[in-house]
Amino acid sequence: MEIRFDQVRYSYPSGVEALQGISLTIASGERLAIVGQNGAGKTTLVRHLNGIFRPSHGSVHIGDWATEGRQIADLSERVGYVFQNPDEQLFARTVREDVAFGPKNLGLEGADQESAVAEALALTGLTDHADVHPHHLSLSERKRVAIAAVLAMRTPIVVLDEPTTGQDEFGVRMVAEITQSLARDGRTVIAITHDMDFCAENFERVVVMAQGQIRADGTPADVFTRSDDLERAAVEPPQLMRLAHELRWQKMPVNVEGFVATLASQGPATS
Amino acid sequence: MTTTLYEDRESAVHRLNPVTKLVAMLSIIIIVFAVQIWWVALGIVVFVVVPAAVVSGTGGRLLSLSLKLLLPILIVLVLLQGLFFPEGTTVLAEFGPARVTVEGLMFALGIGSRIAALVLCSLVLLLTTNPALLMTSLTQKGMSPKMSYVISSTLQIIPAFQTRAQSILLAQQARGLRLKGNPLRRAAAILPLVSPLVLGMFTDVEERSTAMEARGFSSPATHTSFVVVEDPLGQKIARWVLATVALASVVLSLLGVFA
Amino acid sequence: MIELRDVAYAYPDTDHYVLDGVDLSVTRGEVVGVVGASGVGKTTLAKIIAGFIPNVEGGTLAGSIAVDDVQISSLPLAEAVAQVGLVIQNPFNQISGAKFSVREEIAFGLENTGVPRDQMISRVADVAQLLRIDHLLDRSPYALSGGQMQLVAIASVIVMGTPVLVMDEPTSQLDPGGSRMVFDVISALTDAGTSVLIFEHKVELLREHADRIAVLAEGRIVYEDEPRTVLTDDRLESWSVGSTRYTRAARAARDAGLTALDAALPVSLSDSTEYFTTQRAGR
Repeated sequence: MEIRFDQVRYSYPSGVEALQGISLTIASGERLAIVGQNGAGKTTLVRHLNGIFRPSHGSVHIGDWATEGRQIADLSERVGYVFQNPDEQLFARTVREDVAFGPKNLGLEGADQESAVAEALALTGLTDHADVHPHHLSLSERKRVAIAAVLAMRTPIVVLDEPTTGQDEFGVRMVAEITQSLARDGRTVIAITHDMDFCAENFERVVVMAQGQIRADGTPADVFTRSDDLERAAVEPPQLMRLAHELRWQKMPVNVEGFVATLASQGPATS
Repeated sequence: MTTTLYEDRESAVHRLNPVTKLVAMLSIIIIVFAVQIWWVALGIVVFVVVPAAVVSGTGGRLLSLSLKLLLPILIVLVLLQGLFFPEGTTVLAEFGPARVTVEGLMFALGIGSRIAALVLCSLVLLLTTNPALLMTSLTQKGMSPKMSYVISSTLQIIPAFQTRAQSILLAQQARGLRLKGNPLRRAAAILPLVSPLVLGMFTDVEERSTAMEARGFSSPATHTSFVVVEDPLGQKIARWVLATVALASVVLSLLGVFA
Repeated sequence: MIELRDVAYAYPDTDHYVLDGVDLSVTRGEVVGVVGASGVGKTTLAKIIAGFIPNVEGGTLAGSIAVDDVQISSLPLAEAVAQVGLVIQNPFNQISGAKFSVREEIAFGLENTGVPRDQMISRVADVAQLLRIDHLLDRSPYALSGGQMQLVAIASVIVMGTPVLVMDEPTSQLDPGGSRMVFDVISALTDAGTSVLIFEHKVELLREHADRIAVLAEGRIVYEDEPRTVLTDDRLESWSVGSTRYTRAARAARDAGLTALDAALPVSLSDSTEYFTTQRAGR
């Protein structure tokens, strides 16, 4: 299901222009990370995907649906949005009940609902916590419940708003696994993140935003070597790319495996 | 970002010490209700409240607010008392059981002008007084800082919770929650909206009290004030005068002078 | 400055000890970073050190917690608070709600503790400049973004000038630039003699600014040492603590036989650059 932003402009009621003419196409099944300073417009942009914001000019299309004229609840069939603060949505007495809320609203009943919930719990490592009250879980775990709650809706598009912020290492790895698994399933994953290493390791496309505009758009290796654009957007490259740059490598590694492979292919060191 | 009507402006009324305005409002209310002479209230409205509104530039706002708040009350009052006043003898017109009497209309005028004085006076106070400065000046006059904290934080917390309620609504709608529909569906929508808000309030209260303690809330030291509100001698005197007049009007009223 | 010995704690009405034998110390002017899994008890430990447990939150507390050789539990809360400043995790709850401008909000704690007005004015201005929030001073504290609110919350605690500062994930709402700024401020404070205990997940910044890193796991401090030593330990993953990609790449290269087995693993850009240019195993 393709996503299209056509010349989208958005101004807040206060008059501040948060998006200045964004045109962007996201293909079905793509893994896209959006990075940039706080205030660059990242959240404003992705909130156009499920109808929280409507463009002041231009249009947003989710597949064949224009977001204009569709309610948030309608768009939730196609776009699952995981908000940053899990405590603003967890309400049920058990994890299972909360995760079932989304699928129930979308009309999944009985065995279908149960399997969607079970699947989502398994993917987020929460099967053993299914009958626990969400407030007895740590923040990291509650964030995963929020993700499970959206995964269970089986939407073709999933939006993650800072999924790794405040997470411990186990939580970050879990989010990475979830991203990979969604991609394998053919679902589109869009994430806002400040963690450039997480970004390079899990996303095939990176959009750098600054002041309501897109400054760079491409693969991580591509984007993170555009030092001028990065500097103006106040974004730093991932650690391994910084290292590769210091080592004067041509090939930019996106993860540890890639780094080691490039190192191995370099042959013995000259001494 | 507060639930107040305050409009930030420059005027003689705005510059008055908030406690002066508060005392003035309370004195006026006491006086108009103690003095049983119908034109006193009206006189105060015309010669004190309206000029104050004009000088402070809040006349327009005052007018629109009073039309919304005051007018319905006054209309009902005039209708009820004007048409059904039992002790009315001088009849002006008759519509079946309803009799428009002079006595009834006079009564309505008396009560109406008092209510108008009360409402308009309070509105002028709210429109011209920065709540922060009001709290600070009351604390300077000896109100407990903890009381000031309770009042101010209540004013601010409400819109803050409204913002949070809005976020919760968005999050649940993004999970397919619909608000429109049959009553059963709408009832089911209450828990996912209210529960995070209420639970959030409980955790917040605990955390906030820790945070407030961390900033010396229970410190035995004498509280100092970052903001200082001017309190010229003239205003101090004026407050005493007003309070005295208010007290006198109550005493005289009890003595039956206005009967 | 702060010394914890054998600290144990159980929540009210339970006998499960979430902390069981914590030993930790922070000397004057030191930055100690505490890392560990989510839910392991970091926030609880922060509140214990600041004197809020058991005074405000109850439960069973055992062991010795001393600030400047004085037992925190023996002090009345107001005095404990004068020694240890606490920045809580959720900035929304750190904001008093009683003040209508950021400027007054920051001064709130100073008002409560009876600081003279002229001192308040200069201290508020100084801390606002330090955290680069001067442009927010006239705004309502509730008309701020999450990141701005966090900076105001931090400012409102730093302004109190306590000799010890405990910070519970103070950069959670901030982007990398903002996080780095907060850590720079921490370094400036410790240079002036403040002791800082910071609970964080961002290991790269801890590596750069902390004098020591302590790992909280299984109710105790299981490991404590210099940042480079801690962050290259093989057990980090089992404690759900991250390591930098520099370390991970070096470890993977070593395990693949591409670099020397006995060389110390790097943690930063500079030492990993050095590592990969000098530590190549011959083939």
